[in-house]
Amino acid sequence: MAKTNTLDFRETEGTRPERAVELSVLVTVSERPDDLTEVYEQYSRALAAAGMPYEFIFVLDGPWPEALDQLRRLKQLHPEIQVVKLNRWFGEATALAVGFDRAQGSTVITLPSYFQVDPAELPRMIRAFHEGRADLLIAWRHPRVDSRFNRLQSWAFRSITRFLTGTRLHDVSCGLRIMRARVAAEVRPYGDLHRFLPLLADQRGFRVEELQVRQSPRDSVRRVYQPGVYLRRLLDVLALFFIFKFTKKPLRFFGLVGSALAAAGVAITGYLGVYRLLELGPIANRPLLILGVLLMVLGVQLFSIGLLGEIIIFTHARQVKDYEIQDRDDD
Amino acid sequence: MDRFKPRAEDTHGELAFSVVVPVYNEQDSVVPLCDQIRAACDPLGRPYEILLVDDGSSDRTPEILNDLARRDPRVRPIRFRKNYGQTAAMQAGFELSRGKVIVSMDGDLQNDPADIPRMLAKIDDGFDVVCGWRRRRQDKFLTRRVPSIIANWIIGRLTGVRIHDNGCSLKAYRASNIKSVKLYGEMHRFIPAMATLTDAKIAELVVNHRARRFGASKYGLGRVWRVILDIIVIKMITSFGSRPALWFGLWSMPFMLLGGFLLVAFAAFGVGGTPEAWLVGSTSAFLLFVLGANLLSLGIIGELVVKTGDHPVRPVTRTTVDFLEVENGENEHA
Repeated sequence: MAKTNTLDFRETEGTRPERAVELSVLVTVSERPDDLTEVYEQYSRALAAAGMPYEFIFVLDGPWPEALDQLRRLKQLHPEIQVVKLNRWFGEATALAVGFDRAQGSTVITLPSYFQVDPAELPRMIRAFHEGRADLLIAWRHPRVDSRFNRLQSWAFRSITRFLTGTRLHDVSCGLRIMRARVAAEVRPYGDLHRFLPLLADQRGFRVEELQVRQSPRDSVRRVYQPGVYLRRLLDVLALFFIFKFTKKPLRFFGLVGSALAAAGVAITGYLGVYRLLELGPIANRPLLILGVLLMVLGVQLFSIGLLGEIIIFTHARQVKDYEIQDRDDD
Repeated sequence: MDRFKPRAEDTHGELAFSVVVPVYNEQDSVVPLCDQIRAACDPLGRPYEILLVDDGSSDRTPEILNDLARRDPRVRPIRFRKNYGQTAAMQAGFELSRGKVIVSMDGDLQNDPADIPRMLAKIDDGFDVVCGWRRRRQDKFLTRRVPSIIANWIIGRLTGVRIHDNGCSLKAYRASNIKSVKLYGEMHRFIPAMATLTDAKIAELVVNHRARRFGASKYGLGRVWRVILDIIVIKMITSFGSRPALWFGLWSMPFMLLGGFLLVAFAAFGVGGTPEAWLVGSTSAFLLFVLGANLLSLGIIGELVVKTGDHPVRPVTRTTVDFLEVENGENEHA
């Protein structure tokens, strides 16, 4: 685990507040950080306007020399800031988990290390969270002010996510989220699934809501990623889809796909058999024959893998909890 | 977090019995339901509790449950954060119950609480699981009853637990018995079959079934395929749950045998035949072998999984089912 590898700034421990604060503000510095001094200035001004005692935690995910320098200087100016540096790049999910562990507040705010939403919107967001009943409130950048290309790829990502997970949220991967400490304690994103933190929280039965906020004009830089990044995002959504839908009933998925493939195989082979019996021509030289037979094999394979999955679930059913209790009598 | 785990004192044995009722959007039914349960159970003079598991209702059910609990300490509401399904609700109720016997029933008033004393008497007679049989079901014939008859027949044939009505929620269990069976997925429909894993003595009892008065039915016909898959899983788990290699091995047999037969047949006679016949035959034989070998190795992996798991590996035994079809006085409560 990354936690054992964290390198704290030496002075951090001494200034760590003893008492629980109300708000824990968490900034993970993972990719494309803006000038962190400016990030801190703007966020802290907005937080001061909200008028609540807060702690500010930076988690520096890996060696970013420039960001490290900025944080050092920032720490000298504002010793109350907590800075955690991970000794290599672990990914944002781990950085978030490290931050969640250090957060003392009853409410945790995560903020991106670049200007994604207008910081001036923070007080309104905090107020909405405290007045509402949500366990997690996520910002929805709307209306968008950035380039058409950005909007197009966001739209594609959102459509796929909505199609596969059925979420009604509009901006799942927005970095600005406000949540109760309990959500941060229970929902542990791993891999790249931090992008879907609201969905993971929803899956555990927390109430998740969204709030329209102004997008920062600085968020409008045209973002073009490597093709591999797009592929990874797609796989992440797919992984989420399987985790949500089929982990407790693997045969539902493998059985369905397996029988469909086997049925297609039987149909193809049957067609070729009839074709041959009617002496319409030879079939051994036809690739369709191999396809048909292989489809049957694959179908049986998938079905039995589903059965194996069921055995695994049954054997470990004691560790699997199907529900989360909200209240019960404690007489 | 500890607050939300079953506590030590939650183990069975404190009370004579617990009535577990999963409720989901049943704001009109819970009050009459509680009244009927109390009317049926109070004359027994035994200490009991009513666990109402609210499966994330969106109507006024939660407030009504809290109100009921305030007025009667025997009523214990449990509230889920969101809708997790009936099996999860039953499982939570079972885990948190404190009775020596657990009675489960639906929250929609279709089961009749007046049947509870007779079910408890059956447990007293020495049975571990008592299943209700809705002999005169008040549901649509074609979409609800016909699929149910077919499903029950298949489940009975496959698992050896030949009861008429697996789907009836009104059941009574000896707590020590049912608490060792971990339910998951949608296994609440197959509790009798699952109970065979603990060598349960099972009895069946005809119970009253009433037409739905409030709310809408939460099931439809669209779950046939899922039930078929569930039945396959139940068969595998109850018969081969501790020996998956056997199950997969049995399945690989026909493929291997057919492959071997084809290979021998074509080697012996096919050489003289057309190249086409030789190609098709040998390829099919090889593929069948591959398939059989794959199944066998999956079985071995399954064996590893079971060995490292926490369900005790033990020989499969047959469970006795007692067919005591006691006619009940339906007219009394109609």
